[in-house]
Amino acid sequence: MMLKYVFRRFLQFIPVIIGTTFLTFVLLQVVPGDPIALMMKEHISPDVVERVRKEMHLDDPWLQRYVRYMWDAAHGDFGESYKTRRQVADMLATAFPATLALTAASLLVAWGVGIPAGIVAAIRPYTPADHALTTFALLGVSVPIFWLGLIFQLVFGYKLNLFPISGFKGVEYLVMPAICLGLGSAAVIARLTRSSLLEVMNADYIRTARAKGLRDRIVLVRHALKNSLLPVVTVMAIQVADLLSGAVITESVFGIPGIGRVSVGAIQRRDFPLLMGSVIMTVVLVVVGNLLADLSYAYLDPRIRYE
Amino acid sequence: MVTRPSLFRLMALVAVIALALSSCTSAPAPAPAAPAATSVPAAPPAAAKTGAKTLTVAQDTDPGTADVQLTTEEYFLPLNLYDRLVEAVTTGPLKSELQPGLAEKWDVSADGLKYTFYLRKGVKFHSGDVLTADDVIFTFDRMLDPATKALNTDFLDMIAGAKERMDGKATSVSGLKKIDDNTVEITLAAPFAPFLANLATPAGSIYSKAATTKAGKDFGTKPVGTGPFKLESWTPDSELVLSAFDDYFRGRPKFDKLIMKVVPEPQTMALMFKKGDLDVFDLDFARSQIPEFKKDAQWKDRIVSGPRVGTYYMSINQAIKPFDNPKVREALMYAIDRQTLIDKLYYGTGIPAKGILAPGLAGYNDALPGFKYDPEKAKALLKEAGFANGFEMTLNQTTDSPTTLKMNEAVQAMLAQVGIKAEIKQMDSAAWSGTRKEGKLGSYTSSWSADYNDPDNFIYTFFAPRNSVSRSWNYQNKAVQDQLEKARSMTDMAARYKLYQEIEKTIVYEDFAFVPLFHLEHLFVVQPKVKNFKPSWNGWSNMPYYGIEISD
Amino acid sequence: MSNLSPSPAAATILEAPVRQVTFGQDVWRRFRRNRLAVFGAGLICLLVAVAVLAPLIAPYSPTLVQLDAQFEPPSAAHPFGTDFYGRDILSRVLYGARISLVIGLVPTFMAMLFGTVIGVTGGFRGGWVDTVLMRLGDVVMAFPSLILAMVITYTLGASLFTLFIALSVVGWAGAARVVRAQTLSLKQRDFVTASRAVGVGRTGIMFRHILPNCLAPILILLTLGIPGAIMAEAGLSFLGVGAQPPTPSWGLMVNEGQEYLFSAPWASIFPGLAILVTVLAFNFVGDGLRDALDPFLKGRM
Repeated sequence: MMLKYVFRRFLQFIPVIIGTTFLTFVLLQVVPGDPIALMMKEHISPDVVERVRKEMHLDDPWLQRYVRYMWDAAHGDFGESYKTRRQVADMLATAFPATLALTAASLLVAWGVGIPAGIVAAIRPYTPADHALTTFALLGVSVPIFWLGLIFQLVFGYKLNLFPISGFKGVEYLVMPAICLGLGSAAVIARLTRSSLLEVMNADYIRTARAKGLRDRIVLVRHALKNSLLPVVTVMAIQVADLLSGAVITESVFGIPGIGRVSVGAIQRRDFPLLMGSVIMTVVLVVVGNLLADLSYAYLDPRIRYE
Repeated sequence: MVTRPSLFRLMALVAVIALALSSCTSAPAPAPAAPAATSVPAAPPAAAKTGAKTLTVAQDTDPGTADVQLTTEEYFLPLNLYDRLVEAVTTGPLKSELQPGLAEKWDVSADGLKYTFYLRKGVKFHSGDVLTADDVIFTFDRMLDPATKALNTDFLDMIAGAKERMDGKATSVSGLKKIDDNTVEITLAAPFAPFLANLATPAGSIYSKAATTKAGKDFGTKPVGTGPFKLESWTPDSELVLSAFDDYFRGRPKFDKLIMKVVPEPQTMALMFKKGDLDVFDLDFARSQIPEFKKDAQWKDRIVSGPRVGTYYMSINQAIKPFDNPKVREALMYAIDRQTLIDKLYYGTGIPAKGILAPGLAGYNDALPGFKYDPEKAKALLKEAGFANGFEMTLNQTTDSPTTLKMNEAVQAMLAQVGIKAEIKQMDSAAWSGTRKEGKLGSYTSSWSADYNDPDNFIYTFFAPRNSVSRSWNYQNKAVQDQLEKARSMTDMAARYKLYQEIEKTIVYEDFAFVPLFHLEHLFVVQPKVKNFKPSWNGWSNMPYYGIEISD
Repeated sequence: MSNLSPSPAAATILEAPVRQVTFGQDVWRRFRRNRLAVFGAGLICLLVAVAVLAPLIAPYSPTLVQLDAQFEPPSAAHPFGTDFYGRDILSRVLYGARISLVIGLVPTFMAMLFGTVIGVTGGFRGGWVDTVLMRLGDVVMAFPSLILAMVITYTLGASLFTLFIALSVVGWAGAARVVRAQTLSLKQRDFVTASRAVGVGRTGIMFRHILPNCLAPILILLTLGIPGAIMAEAGLSFLGVGAQPPTPSWGLMVNEGQEYLFSAPWASIFPGLAILVTVLAFNFVGDGLRDALDPFLKGRM
């Protein structure tokens, strides 16, 4: 039954992917800026631009190019980047591990900070402790990430010399970016944990458990926590999308060679094949993240069945 | 009745997720060292520990490709991996000259059409092959072959038969001829005096026929040249590692590894340099740091500066009223306080410009008088021209250029002092270049830096009849345009440069068609261990690192 | 900051079924209990006052360039110092309240409006209309939001108006989901069925029953979406496609100032603090509202 469910969900992705690629492609047609001209210093003569445009089939009608692109993509050929002339698939494969590592590390930070903060805040709602934790959790979403990153680099990278400032050659390189990126999601997790925990703790069965004389803390852990984590798991999928989007900036600040930088560079240079490739890749990641969240949700809560 | 998952199951799931996440965080870390896409063998990790001398530098974007025929701006790799037939070499302050490269000598025919290059014998490629005339011809033909989709054809398209090759009407270039294994004869379609200077640009880099053919589409990541360094590993968007080439024909470099880190944020770059992660910091990436470094006792003596052979200027479109009036144009010359622009926008690291050509460029004329900032004179000139109350004009720029905006805002304020109301118009780059190409763009501030060491590169670019329109000057002076064509075919260089100086004087001091602004210095800070660091002749950020030494 | 759409947490919680909502003292009582929320509401009032009164209280014009007063440290004449152009940072921060409030409010409001219309339509009509609209929502939600915003900005040319479009295009899908879920569950309720039975038309039901019941979640999404939009603008400024200079938007100011973080920290710290305070204030209020409205949403009156 589950396999069937997964299969059906995958079928539903197809329109999303087609929709996304089509949207991207159409938008790219109207974006001003000639990719070939943008590739060159203004010193190069306009004749060269015209010639290379022709050589790269950029003068063909856009619908024809879209169909050709999708046809090739369906056969595993995502074209080559205008700038590097390398296979887009190769470029993305090279950039993927860094983004995956950054996203995973940020999720760890988000959960590691967000869940405990949410629990503590829920134990004593509307007290100074709650307020302090809520404020702290929110700080992560209240400061521009590029600015926070720079301050981190200055303080922890340069002054205290605790972590490498920029680059990606080992786990220690991920600490600062993961905190920077993860704090934003930690705020979301903390609020969610808090409110969902508060709600569960007011539920009848918890009251019953309390009435039976169980000590508060055990009640909390045994009963409330596991149930209140359900929505937190669900939110993970949405967070994957958010983290991937935030990675665009974090990767630039911390010099991490990931998908985010590839996509920003691709837009700035109007490197269409590269941008299409990275959009498709991000969308697939998000969609798979959604599926995983749904599956784990169903697993955690037997009331939910695969429809 | 609600059934709930057992605590055990929950714990198991959390454990699985945690495991998956932790393996994600640690596993990919080594991956970038050997990315799938670049099959360049990975760096032996021991290298750094065995006391190898390393020079670490940084730039803000990944070069993307090592194939110089496919890029018009990423010259770090080409300048360090390849050699050219002729090289432009800095010989003294503000002086550079063309010196033998892979060609040990050359002849030019009296009509300026035939160039014969005698290749140095026994020059080895990184692959071990020896350089021959076939490699030279292959390389130049590859540039002009439409299948290459090359971008840098401008530097070779004056060769006879180049146009036919590019248009796909010929399968070879008629002007490229092998005399013997060590001699190449190149015939031009028309005399073009700066040809040698063109060959000395990165675009003139020579490839190995065998290795290039073998690498095919992968040549961009598997380059083979004759240069002082060879590519060892390349992690896109992260770092490139180059190692010394033992058989380099001028002698092995004096250090072992050259690492180029890709650091997108200039502030990050500055911190890395201060921490010692970088050996050279190119202050062009973060001019705002210049005062800091100049004040800092630790660094102020470690600043190395070189001229940037380039000119900042403001354009005037004579097809737009009232710029058809020479008095108005003359007024502009005096209305701009060049020194303040340099001091406030560029931290005093430059000199006011007096003409079109830049110091360090062949033919530069230091004797030009220049224009003093004199708003009263400007006002008087405007009054004489019939614009006592000033007029309105536009300063045009693209939306994504904050540095240009800074300059335009400053210029705007200065023009306001003499009664000229300049409106800053920001447009997207497509609209900007489109309007300019039609010759309809109002004034803009910009800069031009030398591609090759010849006045033609500056003056012809701006004021040849076609360029004068397509760059929105609309400056028409038949005498000047004839002289420009004539200068292209002269072979007596001294006389040529003199002619260019006359042309420059006419354009700037008689017709007031070009508003010179300033020339900038290019500043670098280097760690004490870096010796003999010399900015390249033209002041580019991308430079050859061959001559540098690293002390222990 | 990456989060262009209104808080996903809120969206998830709000997808729960609801019963008919009555606003009243009860909500206010709950809201008041949360001191942070009250504090946040106070800050927002202050912010609005500053925005309205900016021309009266700002000591200088926010765009006055004085190159001879570059980077003056905070002093009596310039309490927040001056920036690269010698512009008074206090004045820019004060005027910036206008820009940033507008950047927060307009696109979020637009996103809620589109989202509500689309959500109600989808939920009410069902069938293929619903499928198409929701798949469209999936597309937008799956799309990396910063990238989408960048593409839109490049397409339309950078301006405040473009920013509104970009942020609302990115943000509507979340609202649409929530509203659709509300609509779907409301559609089955007795009072709606009853209304239909006595002959109330579709439009009538929509306006009389469905929309009022969506107000609470929309209000929460709106409050939480505003800080999201302000942060998103800061992120877009970093990528060069946010508000364009010399607009005194806080995001742009932080970005322009970060270059001088070491030599002139005031240039980015003050606008940064302004963002911090504003975003916190809206989040406090949003949290407070959600807590206050939660019992209604959960149908546990």
